[in-house]
Amino acid sequence: MKKESNLGRREFLRGTAVAAAAGAAWMAAHPRSEATVWQIDPTKCVQCGRCSTNCTQNPSAVKCVHSFQICGYCDLCGGYLQPGAKTRDSGAENELCPVGALKRTFVEEPFYQYTIDEKLCVGCGKCVKGCGVFGNGSLYLQVKHDLCMGCNECSIARNCPANAFRRIPASTGYLLKTGEHGGKERK
Amino acid sequence: MSIESPKRLIPGWVWAALTVVVIALVVVLFFTDRRKTPDTSFEYDLSSYTQIDPKEVIFKEAGRIPLNVANPSAMAIGPDGKIYVGGENAVIVLNDEGKELARYAVKGTPGCLAAIPDGKLLAGMKNHIEVLDAQGSSVATWQDLGEHAWLTSIAVNDQNVYAADAGNRIVLRYDLNGTLQTRIGAADTARNIPGLVVPSAFLDVAFDPMDALWVVNPGKHGLENYRANGDLVSSWYRMGMDLPGFCGCCNPTHIAFRSDGTLVTVEKGLNRVKLYAPDTSLLGVVAPPEGLLAPGSATMSCDLEPPVRDLAVDAKDRVLVLNNPKHVILVFEKIPNREGEAPAKP
Repeated sequence: MKKESNLGRREFLRGTAVAAAAGAAWMAAHPRSEATVWQIDPTKCVQCGRCSTNCTQNPSAVKCVHSFQICGYCDLCGGYLQPGAKTRDSGAENELCPVGALKRTFVEEPFYQYTIDEKLCVGCGKCVKGCGVFGNGSLYLQVKHDLCMGCNECSIARNCPANAFRRIPASTGYLLKTGEHGGKERK
Repeated sequence: MSIESPKRLIPGWVWAALTVVVIALVVVLFFTDRRKTPDTSFEYDLSSYTQIDPKEVIFKEAGRIPLNVANPSAMAIGPDGKIYVGGENAVIVLNDEGKELARYAVKGTPGCLAAIPDGKLLAGMKNHIEVLDAQGSSVATWQDLGEHAWLTSIAVNDQNVYAADAGNRIVLRYDLNGTLQTRIGAADTARNIPGLVVPSAFLDVAFDPMDALWVVNPGKHGLENYRANGDLVSSWYRMGMDLPGFCGCCNPTHIAFRSDGTLVTVEKGLNRVKLYAPDTSLLGVVAPPEGLLAPGSATMSCDLEPPVRDLAVDAKDRVLVLNNPKHVILVFEKIPNREGEAPAKP
């Protein structure tokens, strides 16, 4: 007949103390990993429009951002004007943005500066597509962390057809396009 | 003593039906997406511009020359008919049928090439011109044009070399030894020169059959004709997404002239190759968007990487289009008896 083991209180406490000490040592050796946030990789984004409809926030926490360093300040801007716009002015019928969030200001002939009204932007990416097809790709989508709820399972990430959503360190926060020529360097 | 089982109050088929209902609810609630798809006002649709009436197409693809070089980015045709193609760390030399004759090693990727009559090859690297002899050895390096320089095109005639620097928005005229002579294209109201508007790294130069220099002004969507001293002779601009126009922020990206004076242009965004008469009227389409890209993708994000990276016309007046993603030179020939001939010269 198998002898029944009988752990005494002293042995139990001793074991617990050893386990706690080992745990503390392990925690000291492996500091807690950095907090991460959701972000869109602009090199993967295909501007499908789902960012505007799949976010738990309404309007979406995804907004268009603009790299002035990359922008060509074009008069005939593919991100601002409807394809085939009759005139190149700020008439609503000519604007590509369905909510009028992309604004332009005359700089000097023939250059215009483009800015985004974040309160109006719904993150549909339509201007991003136009800018990417015809321009330098200076417009792109990013998750704004002052608006994002930080859902553990991001609803947009789950539905993103290009796997452009990924978690990045919170200390970085954004995946920004920088550098001349769209951040691409020629060798 | 036998124990009598309690009488079932709910029959089994009800349990089965309930199970089916629960499963259906779970599937509907958690495994289906019932959200509205974005409204059509959120779609970016260029289909009406990418579809071209076949009657407008006056050239046909006559062949493809496969390229055994990484990232083919530049092309030139030499006086002897050889085709030079620049890619990553190499320039390959092909005969007009595409057979590789030689391979030169270069440091980097040439953005433009030009062959000069004495057998030398000029390779436009990012910020300088490299001169290669007939064996592919570097024999000279011309002046460094600075950190913002971005050479995109070279055109050569008997006396001069013209290099387009998109980064500095200027065309540089050198003598054949590489000594800088003139800077062409800077805005100058006294000389009635509007200035080159170059929003992205595309700026092309070419000679027409009468040896006149044509410079693309991509931000103004047209071409400008300059004298060697930098005087502006004439210009024409045509902005628009319709077939005769040049679309987007900066087009055309590449130009070349045929022996009859007709002009071949390449556009990015709406990737299309077109032919214009010397009077600037559109003659027809050389290659529609679907001929340059995979089916179903008539447009693609271009930035610096549109599918067509260079353009040339050979001695047979065939149009050669350097297609980077397909790794080929597409060769187009005029379809006989199709409209699109240049107007007869008086």
